[in-house]
Amino acid sequence: MHLELRGITKRFGSLIANDHIDLEVQPGQVHSLLGENGAGKSTLMNVLFGLLTPDEGQIALNGEVVEIHNPGEAVRRGIGMVHQHFMLVPVFSVTENVVLGFEPTTSLNRVDYRQARDDIRRLSHKFNLDVDPDAIVENLPVGLQQRVEILKALSHDAELLILDEPTAVLTPQEIDSLMTIVRSLADSGKSVLFITHKLKEVKAIADKITVIRHGRVVGRAEPSASEGELASLMVGRDVQLTVEKTPTSLGEDVLRLRDVVVLDDRGLVAVNGVSLDVRAGEIVAIAGVQGNGQTELVEAIAGMRPVASGEITLGERDITNCTPRQALDAGLGHIPEDRQRDGLILSMSVADNLVLNTPRRAPFARRGTRNLAAVNTNADALVGRFDIRTTSTQAPVSSLSGGNQQKVIVARELSRPLELLLASQPTRGLDVGSIEYVHRQIVAYRNEGHAALIVSSELDEVLALGDRVAVMFEGQISGVVAPTTSRETIGLLMAGTRETSAD
Amino acid sequence: MTLLATTPPHHAHPTDDRRVYAVGVFMALIGLFTLLVFGLGCVARASSSLTFNPISVVNAPWHVGALTLNARWTNVVVSLVILVGAGEVLLRRPRRGLMTRFGVVAVLFLVALLIWAARSPGPSPIDFINVTSILVGASATVMVLIFGALSGVMCERAGVVNIAIEGQFIAGAFVGSIFASITNDFFLAALAGLVAGALIGWLLAFFALRYQSDQIIVGVVLVTMLGSLSSYLNLQVFTPYPNLNLGNLAPNLPIPLLAKIPVLGPVFFNQPGFFYAMIILVGVVSFALFKTRYGLHVRAVGEHPRAAATVGINVVRVRYLNVTLGGAIAGLGGVAFMATKGQFQVGYTSGLGYIALAALIFGRWRPSGAVVASIIFGLSVYLSYDLVTYQVPVSIYVLQMFPYLITIAVVAGLIGRVRAPAADGLPYKRD
Repeated sequence: MHLELRGITKRFGSLIANDHIDLEVQPGQVHSLLGENGAGKSTLMNVLFGLLTPDEGQIALNGEVVEIHNPGEAVRRGIGMVHQHFMLVPVFSVTENVVLGFEPTTSLNRVDYRQARDDIRRLSHKFNLDVDPDAIVENLPVGLQQRVEILKALSHDAELLILDEPTAVLTPQEIDSLMTIVRSLADSGKSVLFITHKLKEVKAIADKITVIRHGRVVGRAEPSASEGELASLMVGRDVQLTVEKTPTSLGEDVLRLRDVVVLDDRGLVAVNGVSLDVRAGEIVAIAGVQGNGQTELVEAIAGMRPVASGEITLGERDITNCTPRQALDAGLGHIPEDRQRDGLILSMSVADNLVLNTPRRAPFARRGTRNLAAVNTNADALVGRFDIRTTSTQAPVSSLSGGNQQKVIVARELSRPLELLLASQPTRGLDVGSIEYVHRQIVAYRNEGHAALIVSSELDEVLALGDRVAVMFEGQISGVVAPTTSRETIGLLMAGTRETSAD
Repeated sequence: MTLLATTPPHHAHPTDDRRVYAVGVFMALIGLFTLLVFGLGCVARASSSLTFNPISVVNAPWHVGALTLNARWTNVVVSLVILVGAGEVLLRRPRRGLMTRFGVVAVLFLVALLIWAARSPGPSPIDFINVTSILVGASATVMVLIFGALSGVMCERAGVVNIAIEGQFIAGAFVGSIFASITNDFFLAALAGLVAGALIGWLLAFFALRYQSDQIIVGVVLVTMLGSLSSYLNLQVFTPYPNLNLGNLAPNLPIPLLAKIPVLGPVFFNQPGFFYAMIILVGVVSFALFKTRYGLHVRAVGEHPRAAATVGINVVRVRYLNVTLGGAIAGLGGVAFMATKGQFQVGYTSGLGYIALAALIFGRWRPSGAVVASIIFGLSVYLSYDLVTYQVPVSIYVLQMFPYLITIAVVAGLIGRVRAPAADGLPYKRD
């Protein structure tokens, strides 16, 4: 299908999320929409999919100008969307999910599951998307669930497929298989709009690239463009994509995990006997697809979740099942995964958030009363040193951008003496510029001879930061490898194949 | 270095395991209690007889003789069955069917209690148990509970918690009584009750969907409001105009031939129209939810409304429709309840709506499960009243707490872990 967006504009109050965006996708083409989080990609897709109504502009499908008011209409016009968070009902079967909304029926309004199943088999055969129609979706691995999403779109005769950040939850192998699927779909004449902020993927799959920043199209590129060129287009200035690390001498073990077992919220074993050491002067990065126990492990170290068995030592202290305050006192600096929930109190000021973990200590408090002068002096100093962009140190931290909120946390944690910096998804949702900044801070800290444990589901980040890379799968460390290890090997570890010595 | 594929480790569920263990222990305690009090607590020669001829049926073509049981040894056997069940739960730790097992134990416990209460020689002035009249008597309560639980199924499958079932009962009973009294036509009364219940359901949907208020709070407010409104109207309308609350019982509609089968006939085939309507409704709701396109949409809306919306299903409309229909079903239940009592009385639904909610959870949000659960709950509600006649040496008020205790245990999730529709009770926002 030929798609043309002409001058699409969408405003939310004074914010212009999409500013006269023009975009053209040819049949049989993979068109990549590249932009940072918050650049307006999702808004544009929601406009196209009928979830939002544009304030200005036109959508033309095969040359005909159309108005799309709701997703049902978009689907009927041949637009299929594979959402970043899958729109699948977990307890339904593959068949039920695929036919939902477009069920073949027999008498009495009954759903004709036999025909539905046959249709799905035919479709999965045609597009090489193998999946069992009777499987319950929640029992399928994420990669297969995505396949169901794609099948669902195809079953509605989609001619244009929108893939919204489709690789965020996939292992490298699953990403490869997705790329093959996308390519073969394009070859069969479908048009594909591939939304992402990952430069590697764009170069691997796109026929055409449109870069947007702050709601505007800032450039169009060919996949032959270098990553550096694309990054600077996306960010608006030159970006250094790699972090320089100086060799350091390794010191003592700082963090020791011994056979740590942690349960998740439902009481299932999430961390299943993890043993790991982090030494002074190194960054250990934990890689793995999200949901393999990383979150629970970090919370257990930080004292936010009970340890079912095993032992955690930080420096000389046993911090197994300690409280968060005891962990902080033992010298733990924690950049939590969900910064807005666990890292900040959004309604409180920047200055208060900068002393959030030490409010009772001198000089910020004396004999049970706060010393606001010291709090403010501290805030002024840190805002300058860490380049936090805020109108005032008294402004609520909620008024800051995501990147600057993260800087507040980094500043708070790194401005006091630590044994270990523990950072979970430290750059999630940040723009390339802020990512660069946070990475530099973490590496500088390590260059001074300190220890850091970083958890990230972004393989690029893990490889850029880690001196050693530990891969987690289903609650266990499936391997500890050097950051020079090939992506394929790490990918296999992420998918659960285990490192063994050949003999 | 080589890479080997590993199978994912099997995850245990310690919390679940603890629950299974707790239920097993609880069942064992019930078994022991049954053994010691209801079994060995009877003198060896004590007997209870079961009779099967309902007093109301004259000229029954078949006569079933009384069955005399040795109270002590019958109850010992019953308690052993319970203990074996408890042992099975404790040793095998079954993951499924825990609630069913618990339900069977509850019924066995009630049976043992009855046999014990009616033993002779014993304190009871009555030394027989009329099985048929107990079942007929309990069937009215069971029927009302099934209406209520079906109403809950309709609402919660679409993702709205209908805690106002009690309120819809009250509304249906009140309006139903007026219509039955004026027209003496229970069909019209049923229609009026349907409309009244639907209105309350719509009101709940309106607050929950339009203003995205907390569904539990709106529901409780509705129940409280209807409770007070009904006592006010009772005073203002029924006291000065008693003709509007006449006290008619819905007539039984015996089904030819079938109604004459001993025990089963009176229980299933000589009932008011409401009872047959309830049975048809169970089938219809079951079919609609699990076989039809409509039902697939409803369940999708209750599980993952955004996913439903992205394939063009109007989430808000589905919810309005289902909550209104659910309200109508509960309203009909209210009329049915009134028709078994003859007239409207303030407060006589006494929390049946909440018990229906528990039956819905116990029945895992399925119509068939709700029926089974309603039978267990209905029997225990009925028996807690009936036991008074046997002069059980326990206060009637304590006996009447029994069904509510089970209700609390079920609603709080103490017995068995069941999975509600994922979006149950959550407001839906478009973006």
